[in-house]
Amino acid sequence: MSASIAHTTDAAETLPAIHGGVSHDSHDAHSDHAGHGHGKKGILHYLWNTDHKVIAMQFLFTSIIYLVLGGSMAVAMRWQLAWPGHPIPILGHLLPSTVVSDDGALIPGGYNMLVTMHGTILVFFVAMPVLIGVFGNFLIPLKIGAGDMAFPALNELSYWLFSVSGLIMLGSFFTPGGAPGTGWTAYAPLSSHGDYNHTPFGQSLWCISLFINGLGSLTGAVNYITTVLTMRAPGMTLFRMPLPVWAIFVTAILLIFAIPVLSAAAALIVFDLNFGTSFYEPAGGGQPILWQHLFWFFGHPEVYILVLPAMGFVSEILAVFSRKPVFGYKAMVYAMSIIGLLGFIVWGHHMYVSGMNLTLSAAFSVSTMVIAVPSAIKTFNWMGTVWRGSIHYTVPMAFAVAFVSMFVIGGLSGIFMASTPVDLFVHHTYFIVAHFHYVIFGAIVFSVFAAIYFWFPKMSGRMFNNTLGWIHFWMSLVFFNLTFFPMHNLGLAGMMRRISDPTVYDCLKQVQPLNVVCTIGAMGLGLSTIPFLINMFWSMKFGPKAPINPWNSTTLEWTVDYPIQHGNFPVTPTVYHGPYEYSVPGLEKDFLPQNEKAPAHVTLEAH
Amino acid sequence: MNLAMIAVTSRSSLFSKTLLSRLGTVLFFVLFSASAMAEQRTGGIYGLPPCLTLSGQKIDFIFRFIFWLTAVVFVLTQGTYITYLIKYRYKPGVKAHYSHGNNALEVVWTTLPTIIFLALAIYSNQVWDQIHSPAPENALTVDVSAYQFGWQMRYPGVSGKLSPSDVKKISPENPFGTDPSDPRTAQDVISPDLVVPVDRPVHVLLHSRDVIHSFYVPEFRLYQDCVPGRTIGWVWFQATRTGEFQLACNQLCGTGHYNMKAPIRVVTETEFNQWLAPRQQKNAAASARATPLPIPGIQAPGTVPPLTAVQSTHNL
Repeated sequence: MSASIAHTTDAAETLPAIHGGVSHDSHDAHSDHAGHGHGKKGILHYLWNTDHKVIAMQFLFTSIIYLVLGGSMAVAMRWQLAWPGHPIPILGHLLPSTVVSDDGALIPGGYNMLVTMHGTILVFFVAMPVLIGVFGNFLIPLKIGAGDMAFPALNELSYWLFSVSGLIMLGSFFTPGGAPGTGWTAYAPLSSHGDYNHTPFGQSLWCISLFINGLGSLTGAVNYITTVLTMRAPGMTLFRMPLPVWAIFVTAILLIFAIPVLSAAAALIVFDLNFGTSFYEPAGGGQPILWQHLFWFFGHPEVYILVLPAMGFVSEILAVFSRKPVFGYKAMVYAMSIIGLLGFIVWGHHMYVSGMNLTLSAAFSVSTMVIAVPSAIKTFNWMGTVWRGSIHYTVPMAFAVAFVSMFVIGGLSGIFMASTPVDLFVHHTYFIVAHFHYVIFGAIVFSVFAAIYFWFPKMSGRMFNNTLGWIHFWMSLVFFNLTFFPMHNLGLAGMMRRISDPTVYDCLKQVQPLNVVCTIGAMGLGLSTIPFLINMFWSMKFGPKAPINPWNSTTLEWTVDYPIQHGNFPVTPTVYHGPYEYSVPGLEKDFLPQNEKAPAHVTLEAH
Repeated sequence: MNLAMIAVTSRSSLFSKTLLSRLGTVLFFVLFSASAMAEQRTGGIYGLPPCLTLSGQKIDFIFRFIFWLTAVVFVLTQGTYITYLIKYRYKPGVKAHYSHGNNALEVVWTTLPTIIFLALAIYSNQVWDQIHSPAPENALTVDVSAYQFGWQMRYPGVSGKLSPSDVKKISPENPFGTDPSDPRTAQDVISPDLVVPVDRPVHVLLHSRDVIHSFYVPEFRLYQDCVPGRTIGWVWFQATRTGEFQLACNQLCGTGHYNMKAPIRVVTETEFNQWLAPRQQKNAAASARATPLPIPGIQAPGTVPPLTAVQSTHNL
């Protein structure tokens, strides 16, 4: 370990890669990639590989494809909402005939298909695989000092289940009738009866795909839980685990309980659609609302499945670049655990106006208000983390800093819907579209960007380009808010979600200019991914070589040099203290890695 | 960003109270009444739309309360956060403060939000209960049947009561689940528009023939799903002024969902009677020609089952 960095008065020395800019000089070692396999060569190396780091990259590349697909669908929808019936340039010609007319304008049924697939793809094929598949895989073994996952083959199987489920999902576009147009929530009996949805094949594939995707999530979750519980390095007690590991650990437990409910519910839709059963069909004695209960019993924990890892990454990144321990580490862990528990008893807040018992709605509103508390605790602790820090503004830090603000906006707008009477007004309007995009894009996707930039040096062995990174950040921040903030106002004006043409309503014609603003924002947001993608792929190959610990971070993944060999640690590390010992008084350097004993004259504060 | 929203909302509340805006509305109606376009807003179009119902006023009150609460929290937390971000940026020679947290602070910022949120939940649910109190005795009952992709309304005939119906019999051929052999069925007035009298409670019975739809009127601050196989009987509203609006389906229900709407006209009691009475007379005459005698032995034509019964039988 580099235990003797000189006294640091200059930031470039503390965090060499940050202020040093990125020089594009090193073409010297771009053949590094061949080094980290174990036997296999070429494409096969990436097709079946049980190394958790390679699996993480498989998840990353696959989900980037889905990000582009799902994002393009959103831009197509936004085009239609701003200029209903007008042919969509470029994208209009790439979409199948079930979605667009001959001249490339969205048709109403096609719009519904995009609504469905955008939501489904972004949740199941982008957010989940990136947060859990990529970073769960990459970080857990490296951060707890393990050689690999507990079940490496199961781990690779998880990727392939995910991969196959994605192909099935996209395949639904090419079935008779096309992709399902019932929303990612697929409310029965619209989804469960071919006479109502006219896409029984597409809807069945949607269910089958989610079933297989669920198996992938479950195999992953089993692996994460086992690895965290049994394979921690000596000295790595539970309360010395870095927060991203805690977050993914709690998430994995949520997956185990939530996913099977969705899988079972989706199987019932397949039966209703194809085999004449009536689980959700009132004429045969079924209950339409049953689907909503099952879906949201999965669906609300799902929100936390996505946001907990995001919170974990941001907590760590804020600490690293503030050069301070995470404020209230244990409070953070307890808050995440309580969110996980309460997450299972708030699903009814999606159903206040579904026809569910009115008193039950009131009960769910109480649990929903209570679950806002741990989120508030976390926000205060993030503010506590930057307080009196020595904040270094890097690209990952910028995204992490913005995460907190976007999360606060998304959290505060959630209080409106949590209040039962107000929900009578704003339910299913663009107000809620704004709300959950602030959480899912403004918070979760921003944290994913933060995490990708932060761990990019360890994943690729190279540094990313700072200029492109900053362009990406500012474009994301500006265009994100331009896209989604006006949606609050659209929702208050009464604009319903999931309608392909707001101008059919007289009361919405007046606010149509706001729809144009949102669409311009969405196009800018789409363009903002270009500098990001160029930066990733170019830097991966040609970026300057990354030092072993570019951010002067304390956790174990920064103690091994790229390329990390199969098995990760040449010698199993021993952990001596908690994960975030930054700026410890009495130490010359401003960070104390987990595998380094504090000198005798230094006392570490309990956390 | 939030400031923009504050400005917008306060403008809307200000404008809706001014004489100018009333005059504008009237003028608009004069100009556009021929095209039968629903009411357009004259000011503050980016805030809340005009509120037309008594329960809507209660909702707006909580909305504004939460708005100011969240606005204050937003400004305070983000103000503090941004101050920290600027003040504690890296400066050569200044080391970060070494601290793992503060348990007293954790207790404070756990307790305070808990109290606020619980108080908000309790207050909200009191209003929720008030809004869903049983419909008053003098309420006009209208049966609403949603289908892919439109609406049908059923009004009481000359008897003043809706003919008996059974939710299990609802089908595309029998949109309201009525008994075709019952002479009273023919007396019901069926309408594609929702016409309601001002200042009188209107109790709507929500039905669906196929999939889940929803009854959504932003100006009424009202949203309720119509569930197939069920009668949702707890929705009632009382409009406080006349006007023309649109009923929207706000639950994705298939290809034609985006255009599933129906006109709503809130009219004076006199206008309402002028609209309903001739239709009732016409149906009564037709019904009398078709079947001279009412069939005895059928249960009294209940307008609505008692609200409590509806609630207790079909809840999941």
